[in-house]
Amino acid sequence: MKPQFLFPLLLCSSLTFAQGPDLEPGTPRMIPRPAVEKPEAAPLQTNPAPAPVPLRKRLLVEPSAVINTSSLLKVNVTYQSHNLQIPWQKEGASGRRGLGVVLAENHILVTAQMVADATYIELELPDSGQKIPAKVIALDYEANLALLAASSPTKEEAFFKNLKPMSIDISSRIGDTLSVWQTGRVGELIVSPVRVSKVMTQGYVVENAAFIVYEAQGIIRSEANSFTLPVAKGGKLAGLLLRYDSKNQVATLLPAPIIEHFLKDVADGKYEGFPSLGVEFQITLDDQFREYLGMKPDQPGVYISSVAKGASADKAGVKKGDIMFSINGSDIDSRGDYQDPQFGALSVSHIVRGRAYVGDEVEIKVIREGKEVVLKSQLARKQAEDYLVLPYQFDKGPKYVLNGGLLFQELTRPYLNSFGQEQQGGPILRLMRIASSPDEMEKEGKKKVVFLSAVLPTPSTQGYERMSGQIVEEVNGKKITELADVATAFKEPKDGIHVVKLREFPFILHLDALKVERDNLQLMSGMFRVGDLTRLE
Amino acid sequence: MKIRSLVSTLALLALCISSSAQETAPTPVAAEPPTDEWEGIVNIDASVLLPDYREPWNAGEPSGGSGTGFLIGKNRFLTNAHVVSNATKLVIRTTNDPEPHPARIVHVAHDCDLAILEAEDGKAFEKLKPFDFGGIPKLNTEVIAVGYPIGGDRISVTRGVVSRIDFRPFSHTQVDSHLAIQVDAAINPGNSGGPVLQGGKVVGVAFQGFSGRVAQNVGYIIPVPVIHRFLKDVEDGKYDHYVDLAISDFPIENSAQRKALGLNGGGIGVMVADVEPAGSAGGILKRGDVLLSMDGNPVLNNGLIRFEGELMDMNEVVERKFAGDKLELAYLHEGKETKTTVTLKRFDPYVKLGEQYNQRPRYLVYAGLVFQPMDKNLMDAHQMRDPATNYMFDNYLTEKLYVQNPEPVILTSVLTDEVNTYLAPYAQSLVEEINGVKIKGLKDVQTALATKGDKPDFIVIKLLEKGRPLVLKRDIADAAHPRIMQTYNISEDAYLGAE
Repeated sequence: MKPQFLFPLLLCSSLTFAQGPDLEPGTPRMIPRPAVEKPEAAPLQTNPAPAPVPLRKRLLVEPSAVINTSSLLKVNVTYQSHNLQIPWQKEGASGRRGLGVVLAENHILVTAQMVADATYIELELPDSGQKIPAKVIALDYEANLALLAASSPTKEEAFFKNLKPMSIDISSRIGDTLSVWQTGRVGELIVSPVRVSKVMTQGYVVENAAFIVYEAQGIIRSEANSFTLPVAKGGKLAGLLLRYDSKNQVATLLPAPIIEHFLKDVADGKYEGFPSLGVEFQITLDDQFREYLGMKPDQPGVYISSVAKGASADKAGVKKGDIMFSINGSDIDSRGDYQDPQFGALSVSHIVRGRAYVGDEVEIKVIREGKEVVLKSQLARKQAEDYLVLPYQFDKGPKYVLNGGLLFQELTRPYLNSFGQEQQGGPILRLMRIASSPDEMEKEGKKKVVFLSAVLPTPSTQGYERMSGQIVEEVNGKKITELADVATAFKEPKDGIHVVKLREFPFILHLDALKVERDNLQLMSGMFRVGDLTRLE
Repeated sequence: MKIRSLVSTLALLALCISSSAQETAPTPVAAEPPTDEWEGIVNIDASVLLPDYREPWNAGEPSGGSGTGFLIGKNRFLTNAHVVSNATKLVIRTTNDPEPHPARIVHVAHDCDLAILEAEDGKAFEKLKPFDFGGIPKLNTEVIAVGYPIGGDRISVTRGVVSRIDFRPFSHTQVDSHLAIQVDAAINPGNSGGPVLQGGKVVGVAFQGFSGRVAQNVGYIIPVPVIHRFLKDVEDGKYDHYVDLAISDFPIENSAQRKALGLNGGGIGVMVADVEPAGSAGGILKRGDVLLSMDGNPVLNNGLIRFEGELMDMNEVVERKFAGDKLELAYLHEGKETKTTVTLKRFDPYVKLGEQYNQRPRYLVYAGLVFQPMDKNLMDAHQMRDPATNYMFDNYLTEKLYVQNPEPVILTSVLTDEVNTYLAPYAQSLVEEINGVKIKGLKDVQTALATKGDKPDFIVIKLLEKGRPLVLKRDIADAAHPRIMQTYNISEDAYLGAE
């Protein structure tokens, strides 16, 4: 067999000629779009700007509100993401502009997306244009929220002197009219009214967690600072604009209850994040299925189809096949919704993620073998690092080990997402599947999936140039459970030869240890200018 | 070996050269009975039914095509398999005789894209002289391609040279690779099955090329060794297919690899990277062995072998052999040289990964749930999106899933009705188990549906990587079945294959 038929040039060619997917300018490159997202991405689409609206008209929108421009700051971020396929390189630097909301203690609230991979953050007074550098003091990519503070104490007091902190309003309901705030060139406030039409749960910017959002109808004009925009109700903060679909004029808002949860968590000094239950469930509307499960006609609840190992539900003792019908006293219907006093029918995940905190006690009622069972545990959060396949990664470069020319990486979602949809055959499809059903690999004792992502052409990799996408099982006789194992195992070649065992064709690679050392020196300082051969942090 | 060449078609974009039905302008009638040297080269007009893998109970979509064939013996015409695939009616015409002659397939070999036809009444061809075969032409020698390609109705001749002799994927099945000769004579749709001649002798059968957007003047012909093998195979009255060693080799170019595998230079030996357990060498060769020779003929580090004076893929040695033939192998296992003889056989699992022809799609419908066996035709027709199903197809060979799951069955669609409306989102899923019976083939579905599991009142279908079982109440489903069959116009509830 001709080995070249095996490997579409997919991975290796993208290493040498790395080009990311084409995104609209201003879209953060590394941020994966959640599956539920509307076709339009987060920043507002730039449409031909309509004529400026006279102030009088704007006031009509919200006659009673005190328009508090002194609570808004321009936030300018320079960011630089890492190249996921050439992990020792960074992409070109680029900028984002948005609005921050001034909170108590001179803290500024923005979306996490706004500061992802930031290299420099500054705050700017909308009216005077005065600037001050800032730093991130709290950050949650799942909830898409970040808190900033000035990083220049000497200038801080003068800078914040005329600014007034905004308070949070969590009372918004379906039917309420809210105002999206933007600032013009010299700091004048531009207000666009939107009306809340739906409350539901969906992913924000990363794929592993869903939160509630408000969906609101209205026309939002596009300004330069269109990244993070505050949404107000009666002068108080009701949410942040998460994305806007200009075609359907639908704004998706990150709502105040989630912001409040984030701020409370930050305020106690130790940020723990949003807890999760760690179950997958299936609806039970199907009569025949219900009868099979032994559910009575009026029995509410959902069928638990999987329980994540070590998560809150697992600790409480929830098992696959249970009918979960109540959490913390709220009944769960056959679709997995509960009746929220404020929002109506809402996914049960909000009871845990939005209304409870890490460490809170949770009470889950299930039907098991026809009997009601009450289960309890303390709520926990699965950290991004605890996933077999890292769900997202910002601010840090991807881990890698480069030895001789063989490039090893840990499988991450962002890495997989860096390949366009149409390229997802062959090795990418295989790796995708591991990311979506990690159980098998976890059972094998893997903490992370280490794979050969590319091969740089060197004397020691002669004959291996086209390899890519194979999972690494063993190096020099040592089992590989995470990337650090690879680095350690390469320290001990046998008889001057490194042996790498792969899960896929060609299953085994040999490298001359001496040549590898020589090539490593070349890789660091020669043509490729790699700099560091490994990044394990 | 041919198995994994599948992927190469991504880049290849090979086109099958049988043009779609040519417009039939009235052909001038020849006054004299023909004695023309081209008269044995005939136009083949095929009416075909393209099987419908989405509605497998339907007969299929009528279509047609036209190619070329040529006389090789008494009322025997050689052409490409793809010219006559799925044909319901075949008509042969010569260039000077206005009479259409109905024809039928005598033998067809999809794996090497060759077929033999005969006219229902061979009398008209008795006076014509069959073509003789030559050998493998030398590089840069002139050849002509004769046939009935697009651009007119009468016979056409194009001229070029032999550009390359190499092992190539055959686009008809997309999973078979054999020796092929590349020529720069223009070969166009309709040339398929036509002879390529040198000094009046056939040196190949035109069969595939690249679309003009990919490459220019690259046409491929099936060379004489492949044709002879086919003709010899069918001597016993039936075609037995190619045999296969079913190993994957990996070239030895790296010095560390050479040292670790115990080779001391000399350029001999290729690494055995993988061995199919169900193949001819299963249980004999192991991963990491080094194949040194085949039938005493040394295998070079890059997997090539010197054969009949040319360097060729080592599989060419296997290619010339037939089922049951022996092959002598010398190999290194853990540094020790060993000699063995293997008996060659066909390797079946790869067939599903390629296009198949002349097959009636198999299926089973129960209560609106449509079950079909996984193969390439099905995957293409349904444009599968389910990740578990795609994974199964993509890794059926590479992860050796065929060992556990010889014929994966897919719930391809749900013909909705009150009884199954909640199950519709689960279409395209792989079926793992029904009523406690593991599903390893379509026939198992029939058996399993009749089986009564733990809860006999229910039919319980377990799908691969889906969170919940699909459940039907047996009495409700049984009652709904005839109604659904009638509503969706399905006359037979299953076709499980010819017995």
